[in-house]
Formats: sequence, structure tokens, C-alpha cells
Amino acid sequence: MFSKQYRQTLREKWLAERFPNTKEITLGLKRIFVMPTMTSAALLLALFVLLLMAINFQSSLIYGLTFWLLALIIISVFFTYRNLSEVTVRAIQASSCFAGEKAVFELEISCPEGQKKSAISVGWKFQDFTTIDLLNQNSVSIKLSHETLKRGIFKPKRVSIFTTFPIGLVVAWSYASLEMQSIVYPTPLLQESSEDGLSLAEDAEQGKEIIRGSTDFSGVRQYQVGDSPKHIHWPSYAKTGEAYTKTFVDYANQDLWLEWNSLALKGIETKLSHLCAKVLQYHQDHQIYGLKIPGKTIQPSSGEAHKTICLTALALYGIS
Amino acid sequence: MFNKGFPQDKQVTYAGMLWLLAAQLVVMAPLAFYLPVWILPVLLFSAAWRIRVMKGHLEQPGIIIKLFVAVLGIAALSISGLKLISLDMMASLLMLGFAYKTLEVIQRRDAMVVLLTGFLLIGVSFLYSQSILSALYGVFALIVLAGTMIAIQQSKSHSILATLRSASLMVLLCLPLMLVFFIFSPRFSPLWTIPLEASQGKTGISDSMTPGDIAKLSKSDELAFTVTFEGELPKQNELYWRGLVLQYFDGKTWTPFSNKLEFSDIKRQLKISRSELKKRLVKKGYGKKYEVIYEKTAQPWLFALSPVVDIRGNAFFTTDFRIIAERNILEPMMMTVVSYPETLRDVILPDSTRQLALQLPPEGNNKSRKLAKELLKQSSSKQEYINTILNRYTQQDFYYTLRPPVLGERDTIDKFLFKSKKGFCAHYAGSFVFMMRAAGIPARIVTGYQGGTLNEKGKFLSIRQYDAHAWTEIWLENQGWIRIDPTASVAPDRVEKNLEAAVEKEGSFLEGKVFSMAKYKWLNSLKNKLDSTQYAWRRFVLSYDNETQKSLLKRLFGEITVHKIATVVGAFFVVIILFWSIFLGLGRKSAKEAQEHQIYRRFCALLAKHGVSREPSQTPQAFSQYASQQLPQLAGDINAFSQLYSELCYNPEKQSNSRENNSQNIKALKVLLKTIKKKL
Repeated sequence: MFSKQYRQTLREKWLAERFPNTKEITLGLKRIFVMPTMTSAALLLALFVLLLMAINFQSSLIYGLTFWLLALIIISVFFTYRNLSEVTVRAIQASSCFAGEKAVFELEISCPEGQKKSAISVGWKFQDFTTIDLLNQNSVSIKLSHETLKRGIFKPKRVSIFTTFPIGLVVAWSYASLEMQSIVYPTPLLQESSEDGLSLAEDAEQGKEIIRGSTDFSGVRQYQVGDSPKHIHWPSYAKTGEAYTKTFVDYANQDLWLEWNSLALKGIETKLSHLCAKVLQYHQDHQIYGLKIPGKTIQPSSGEAHKTICLTALALYGIS
Repeated sequence: MFNKGFPQDKQVTYAGMLWLLAAQLVVMAPLAFYLPVWILPVLLFSAAWRIRVMKGHLEQPGIIIKLFVAVLGIAALSISGLKLISLDMMASLLMLGFAYKTLEVIQRRDAMVVLLTGFLLIGVSFLYSQSILSALYGVFALIVLAGTMIAIQQSKSHSILATLRSASLMVLLCLPLMLVFFIFSPRFSPLWTIPLEASQGKTGISDSMTPGDIAKLSKSDELAFTVTFEGELPKQNELYWRGLVLQYFDGKTWTPFSNKLEFSDIKRQLKISRSELKKRLVKKGYGKKYEVIYEKTAQPWLFALSPVVDIRGNAFFTTDFRIIAERNILEPMMMTVVSYPETLRDVILPDSTRQLALQLPPEGNNKSRKLAKELLKQSSSKQEYINTILNRYTQQDFYYTLRPPVLGERDTIDKFLFKSKKGFCAHYAGSFVFMMRAAGIPARIVTGYQGGTLNEKGKFLSIRQYDAHAWTEIWLENQGWIRIDPTASVAPDRVEKNLEAAVEKEGSFLEGKVFSMAKYKWLNSLKNKLDSTQYAWRRFVLSYDNETQKSLLKRLFGEITVHKIATVVGAFFVVIILFWSIFLGLGRKSAKEAQEHQIYRRFCALLAKHGVSREPSQTPQAFSQYASQQLPQLAGDINAFSQLYSELCYNPEKQSNSRENNSQNIKALKVLLKTIKKKL
């Protein structure tokens, strides 16, 4: 009647109304769906055989057994529903990742005190899911991973929550559309052939030296307690018998700048990937570096927080 | 739909496996009484192997081993002496597969196959036994199977008791719905005739009589049927439960016809309509209405006081004034019967019937024939002749015994009448009919039951196998067929009281039965109680069929209409579902939100109406700032409200206040909300 696509949109719309984006969601009558499983179908087949037996042997007891099992299928709807009702799913946090990797989301599954829930599965189809019990504790936090394809903000689809407990005849399921997002950084990809987007002035003399940097060798001085043994100048130690430490300088006004404009690369994503790889490289090398991309300039600095700021800027480039 | 995309670990856990094994044992145990017992060890062997595989001691068996074991099992079945096409064989095969499948249970799906077979096997076990005990055991087995279903769903192992408890809860909560189904669902007549018959086969009176048959029955105290009379109980010596009419004598054995007939042929020959039946009767005397529950016999014969003029149940009338069930009785069957014991039958005797009733083998038993001729000559009337023959039994030294001597193959009547003179009802009836026929008086043998034991508590008669009896009917001018019981002349106690009294001196009552309650008088009250419970079980459960359903529904709801029944069933459904929901706590409202949160939500909703909506991520404080910017005229009130709300939520000092204080704060919050509302 309707095209598949149209039905899909209708379904999406309907689900979106029923499952608004929230930080947490408690499953109730309006949100839990129940369906018999294949096991039920197999049991119905067995019931049919039993019914034939009851009819042909005129056996009241077999009639009774057949009806009892039929009632069991029906009551399992209630039991399975109960196992899922009043379960609360809450978003806790989401980790960032590089495009193509898996983002990890942390969720908390809980139920009201005094209730027991068993074998509840939570997850995304074809991605990741996990099965938990809430028996002696009221809440459990779980980590689910979801693969990411491109950089930007990744908002996972609705999480499915389902259970077939207690007897597997019926599946009860629901969704949680959680307000969770993961920032997906560009895939780090170093372009060797390119200009590396680095604008480092050649003449260091003009710059002001920052003593005890780590990049360029500037001379030696007497050893002080606390100096790294890596930096001991062994040739002078051999000559004089005294320890001298090599000193290095970084150039303050000659910081490492990762500049979009100086990249001779084609394609936005390629550039972003390259810059991303560079950020990681400098971070690894404990460099001080800055980032200039159209619309955003991040002053040179170093450290974990700085790296995150830079990567986030790269991830969100061109995304409002 | 959830199988795709969620590749669950669906292997059966170790605990699940143990549950499965226990469930299989529970299901198979009662069947082991009727079917080859060696299937049980097969189960244990398969289970042990599987468990050792799970523990890593053994390899999963290969296809060759599996095939070998399967062939071995089937071979063992084929030499175990079961008929190829029989219920026993089918049940045994099912059990064998059930036992072997254990070896293959790896996935949950495999376990489910075993469990579904288990449900079928519970059903099969009901074909072998239908007692209350069997039914209760069936419920227990159902609980264990449900428990196993739960256990294989669990990822971790839980305490056995807890699982068993939830399984019992589930299964027992099903009871009301199951009863509604049981009472209201339509019952069908068999779709095809069943070639499979249970191993015990036919029980009760057989369709032929060789002296000695009935003596065999007298050793059993099994129930044949139970009767409840409407109104007064007839006298003990009038309780002749007529079942079979034997017309043909081959010199040794009495049978209904000269050759063995299929049931369909018997039906064709004997069945008559109600109006035809009425033509052959001259109604006289009083009517007796009673309800009979016939036990399972795997035969179609029904027993009733003759002649039956009305029946409600699945049976037909016959030319020899019997009733016969439309099919073999495989399940206790209830019937309401009306008899007029004093009615005259066949006052005008059809020639064909007369011929049958005079048939004698061409030769043999010459002494008896000679005696008959002599006595007939001496008698002035048929009646006198009959009396002479009956008197012979009392005057001469005839003896009623359950241990008659063997009479051999030939001249059995001669041997009995002139030599041994010791016999059982069959001997007396047989010789009497022979003497009648030899004198040209139409006569036939009737077998059935005589008497019955009244259960004082339940006011019903139990007729047991040891009440089996044979007597005779002779045809006289103007009187039609009349009943004559030669045994009554020899052993009046047999008819006036019962078999036990008749053979009291001999002490042969229920001989060979080590323990039988019927033997011990002091157990009588307990026995009565048990009997009446069992009677109720048969009356209301086992014999519940189309007929009883109709009458029950009529009694409960008056005239039956589809509409009415649908309404009643619907109402039951609603009540049961409500009961379940309340019992399972599904109707319960989730814990009430604290009042301040409710008010805050009202606040947010109010502002949202005026275009200032709160993002879920906004803290109350941030929202307050934002709202104040948007609605500057209300800034003060909004701030005050948010301040108070935040304090109530997050300030431990305010929280720990007494209840009175708290309600004051709530009141203040409400007042603030009201003012905002007014100003807007």
C-alpha cells in the first residue's frame, strides 16, 4: 500500500514521538512492546499435537494440559513485561574517538528498590549489546561501543532494551533515545609528501630563547640535582670529571603552528586527517603547538586538555 | 526479530543442563511403569556424556557414534516385544529420542526441543493413567519443565529453590485461565479412529464366555463403573447390569455371533432407532433414571438395567435391548440413562431372533440332551420344566465355587451337570441355557455385572470387576424375554448380598491379591472417602465432554447462546487479567515524584507556554537566568522561585528540616508560582 520508505518514515516519526530524546527514560506501559518469540510458535505446534491427542483419545487430562500450556504462553506476556517495566536507562557519558573507531557510551540501568530483573539485554543492533541482571543491586552501569564512520558529532540511534526472561516464550522490548553524543575526531592520517603545514622560522637567534626547552640544543651548564641523566653531556664529563648538563631551548615566538593555509593538500577531510595526525605527533613529543584553521585559532600550548581542544576543533570543523 | 543483530550467547549453561536432566527424569519416571525401562539408563548415559563434555573431559560424539547409538536404540526397541503400530511403540520412540537428544543439547534451541517433547510426554503419560495422583504429578512435571525454561534463560546460575518458586508461581497463576479454557472451550469428537491402543488393552468383560473367564475377573477389585440413582435405589437383587448377549454356542464357548465381527458390522446388525425400540417394548412399571460413569475399557460395551428407553450420551440402542457406545471407551465416560426394569421385551419374537436363541451345536453333550427330553416329557408346562431344571441345581449337590475343576474341551455341559457339579455363574448360566434350548425354549446368556457397593458418603454405587456376572434370559409366550439367574438358586448370597458373602466359606474372594482394601473391613471408611473423591474426579473432570459441558453450562447460565457464552468468557478473561496485573504489581504507579519537582515542572510548563522553554541540560540556575532575560518583567519572581527550588533540592540544611518546615517551603513555592502565573 505504502512504499517501504514511506512506512519507514512513518515508523520513525511514531517512534520519535514516543521516545523523545532525554537524559534518562523509565520504561512503562506506553513504551514496552511485547511479541511472542519463535519458541512460542514451536510450543503452539506442540500444543496442536497435544490437542489432536486430546480429541482423538477423548482425554480430559490432555485437554487440561493443552489449555494449561496455552495459559502459560499468555501469562508469560505479563511476566516478561514485568521484567522490563520500571527499568530506567540513564546516559552517563560518552567517550570521544577517531572516525572509524568505536565510541564508548556509558549507561546506567536501574530499577526501583525491591524489584528484581533478570537477563535484560541493552544495545544497538549489529553493534554491541550486553546482558545484565538486577538482582541484589538496583543499578548497574554498562559500557556499550558503537562504531563511527565520519568525524563530527556522533549521536547514536535509540538503544534497544529487551528481555525474554523468564521463559523465553515472549520478548518484551523498548527503546531509549538518550541524549548522548560522542565527538568523533578525524581519522589521523599523515601525508608524507606534503608540506607539513609547519611554519617554523629558520633563524632561531632572533627569537627569545626559553631556557630549558626540549627542542634545540643550546649549550651546556653545570649539572644540577634533578636534571635528567639523559641530558648529561658525557664528553665534558670525560674531560673534566664534572657533570655538565646539556641545555635546550624552545623558541617562544617560533612555536609550532599547524596551519590550514600552509597545507598543500587537496580536500578538507585529507587536511583535517593530516592535522589530526600532527596534533597527535606533537602531543606525543611533548611539543608546544598551536592550530590555525579557518574560523578558529588555538594558541600554542601543550598537554592533554590542549590536545582535546585541538582535536575537537578539527572534529567540528565546518559543523555548526 | 531480535535474533538478527543481537548474536546472543545462547549456549545452555552447566546449571541449565542439570535442570534439563532433572526435568527429563521427572517426565520419564511415570512412563517407565508402562514402557521399556531401559530407556531411563539411556537418558542417564546421554546426560553423563554431555556433562563430561561440558566439563572438558570428553569430546562431543561424532556422527558415527550418534548413528550407532540411534540404531542400537531402535534395534533394542524392536526386540522389546512391542507391537510395531501401537501407542506403546510411538511413546517409546518419543522417549528414546527424548533421551538421546540430551547428548546434543548445546544451544538453548536444542534444550527447547527437549522441553517441548517433554510437554508431549506428559500428555502421553496421561494416556496410561488418569488418576488424581497422575494429574498432580503432571502438574509437578509441568512446574519442573517451566523451571528448566527459566534456568536456561538465566545467564548465571541461581538458587534452585528460587527458580522452582518462580516456576510454580507462573504455573499456578495459569490455573484460573486454564479452568476457563477447560470449561468453555468446545469439545470435538475424534477426527479419526485410533489404531493405537494402550498396552493394558481391553479390560472388563470380554465379548465371549468360556467358563473361567468371569472367575478371572472376580480376582480384580478394579472399578468398572459408578452409578448415581435419581430417587430410590433399587434392591440389590434387582441390580442386573446388562452388557452383552451371547447367543452362539460352539460346544465350549459362548459368543454373540457365530463368527467374529468387526465393530462396524456389529453396529450395522444390532443398531435400531428409538422408535423401533419402542415398538418392541410394552412399557410397564416404574422408570429409573441414573447417571453412570463408565471406566476406560478400550471396549464399546455399556452396562445398564434393562431395558433402557432413554440415553443421553454417545451411544446407540440395539435389537437385544442393550446400549453400546459409539466408540471404544478410552476415557471415563458419563451417561445419563433411563430404564424401565418391568417392561416386557419382544412379546412378539422375530423369527430370526428365535432361531438364534435355539441354536445348539449339532452334536455333543448327549447326556444333557437326553435328560432335557425326559424332563420335558414329564413336565406339564414350560414353566414346570424350567422350575425342574432350576430345582435340580438346589436339590442335587451343586456347589458354587471360584475354584472350579477344569472341564476340558468336549462335553463340558455333561461334565458339569453330571460329574463335577462345581462351578461359577458362567457354568450355571451356560448349562441352563443349554437345557432350555435342548427343550426348544428360546434362551440366551447375558453377561454384565450384578450388584454394586453403595458408598454411604457419596450416595453412589461402585461396580467393580468382581461384580462381573453371567445369567440368562428365556423367552416365554406373553411375557417376552424374562431374566432367570440360575446362580441365585445355588448361591442366593451372590445375588442378595455380593460375591464376598457367597464365597465366604471358601475364602477365595480376591484370592491372590496381597493387598486390597476391599478385603479389609476396618479400612472401609477410608476406602469410602477415597472412592468418593475418585468418583468426583471422574464425574467432573475425566468424563467432562460435550454432553456434560452442555448440561453444566445450562445449569449455570440457563439457555446457551453464543452471545451469552462469549460475554461470560470475556468477563472471566478481564477478571483474570486484572487479578494477574494486581498480583504481579503491574498496576502500581511508579514512586511519586517529590512535591517540589512537580511544582518545578509546572513552572517550566508555564514558561514554555510563553515561549521560554528549558533545555533538558539547563540547570535550574541557568534556566532562571535565561528566563529572566526573556521575561524581564518577571525577573524577580523567577529568580526567587528558582532560588527556593534549588535550595530545597540541594541545600542539605533545608532538606533536613522537619516535615512542618518542609510543607511551609512547598507552600511558599506554590505561592511564588501563583504570582508568576498571575503576572503572565
